[in-house]
Amino acid sequence: MTKYAQSFIVGLQSNLVYRWNFGVRSLFWFFHLVVVFILWGAAFASNSRIGGFSFSQTLTYFVVIFVLQFFIGAFNEDYQISEDIRNGLINQFLLKPINYFAYRLSVFAAARVVSGAFGFLALLVALPFFRHYLELPHEAWRYVLAVPAMALTAIIQFSIAYFFGLLAFWFLDIQGFVILSMAIENLLGGQMLPLDLLPHAAFNFVRFLPFFYQAYFPASIITGRQGFDFAVQGLAIQAFWAFALVCLAEFVWRRGLRHHTAAGG
Amino acid sequence: MAQLAHYFRIWLASARYSLVRAMMFRGDLFIWSVVELLWISVNVAVILVIYSHTTTVAGWSKYEMLLLVGTSMLIQRFLMGFFWSGIFEMGRNVRSGLFDFTLAQPGDPLFMASTRKLELDGLLNSVAAAAIVAYSAWKLGLHPSAVAVMVYFCMVACGVIIHYSALVMAMSLAFWITSSQGVEGSYFTLMEFSRLPREAFNRIASVIFVWILPVVVVSNGPARELLYGFEPWWALGLFVAALGWFALAVAVFRSGLRRYTSASS
Repeated sequence: MTKYAQSFIVGLQSNLVYRWNFGVRSLFWFFHLVVVFILWGAAFASNSRIGGFSFSQTLTYFVVIFVLQFFIGAFNEDYQISEDIRNGLINQFLLKPINYFAYRLSVFAAARVVSGAFGFLALLVALPFFRHYLELPHEAWRYVLAVPAMALTAIIQFSIAYFFGLLAFWFLDIQGFVILSMAIENLLGGQMLPLDLLPHAAFNFVRFLPFFYQAYFPASIITGRQGFDFAVQGLAIQAFWAFALVCLAEFVWRRGLRHHTAAGG
Repeated sequence: MAQLAHYFRIWLASARYSLVRAMMFRGDLFIWSVVELLWISVNVAVILVIYSHTTTVAGWSKYEMLLLVGTSMLIQRFLMGFFWSGIFEMGRNVRSGLFDFTLAQPGDPLFMASTRKLELDGLLNSVAAAAIVAYSAWKLGLHPSAVAVMVYFCMVACGVIIHYSALVMAMSLAFWITSSQGVEGSYFTLMEFSRLPREAFNRIASVIFVWILPVVVVSNGPARELLYGFEPWWALGLFVAALGWFALAVAVFRSGLRRYTSASS
């Protein structure tokens, strides 16, 4: 356990080196929020409620989504893992008593502490502009259930990124796959719109996909878009996907190693 | 005239090289084409979902909005197809010193850096974006004349020049800062605004995104041309903005180039 704690600390230090990148990303986040504000503001100009929710509730949803991305979203872990494989750096992990998944997870956690701090700072800067539009529910159970939901979301996000990173065992360039999955995740994860606005049949289909639990699910609990029963059922499905994706990651890692040639490094 | 022919021959050689390269990596071309197509589909899906809950956004109907989004994507696909790879690599090459090779080539450095590679996937998907525009125009019952279509494409070309200039300026930062990694994100964030109707912007947002940064004008100008016929002020505004932004981009690039000190830069 100590070695992963050390990886976490080293991860914190190395991520602080990229503080300007996180700072710039936070700035983009602010502009993205302005786009959301203008688009949905225009849509709500002729409707007091869309999908049963007010403009404030919808804007709150997007703010929560963006904050979650900074705290628990995978950014470029897939790229880092693929670089480890491509450059042969993975070889050093094969010779040491260290689990690569756990090592990467601890570095991911460290990176999210740093990016979360920057996201939080960006939120503080943006708050004066959006303060009057934020509307969070008061039920305590939402925040209690949101904690395991966010933890499982982080595992799902990381496992998917880990899986795509491991594709470097078979492919020279994985960027195409990564951006392909990003498009699917952005839509089906609820980052581009609240998924409850989808047609009923489509919503009932996507709620059984892992992408649903990458952002929308915890955000919908926190912002009051879903009720208690839905949240409890969702947690069970989310736990299943987190477990399944970790197993898939382990399986792909083992298959990939069989394919790997540790020349040089 | 002879100089124009010289540059055309250089561009033709680059295009031929890109074509041969794309045919060598057909799998790559297929994946990236699917990626681009998926992103277009995601953007269209978002519009369709929003309009399933409202009839108008800032006074724009569903198909008017699709026409606007299609125009914005058309401009972006042209930029991706013709210039993206070259300019994106320019940022990295300046840092690594590989930009020396561009300087040693027989032509203006900005031209050589920008036109080094054609991306066929971007160009192929411009057909999909154009199809969205054509479908929307058909659903709206528009029957633009051949001249109107020509004016539309001239305005799209002005839009491409503005996008190109913004990208050149963003990537030219590599001459001043040690790492331009992630700077391209600023371009994508700004271009999100080009998918919004001009009427959705009011007060400060209008001043910044319509008048100071022409990110809204680039797509709204051509779209309005198809929807409402030729509007001289929009056309003139777009033309002047394209000239101004291009001149500014060239000035920024040249100023940066004076700082370039080869591999130690």
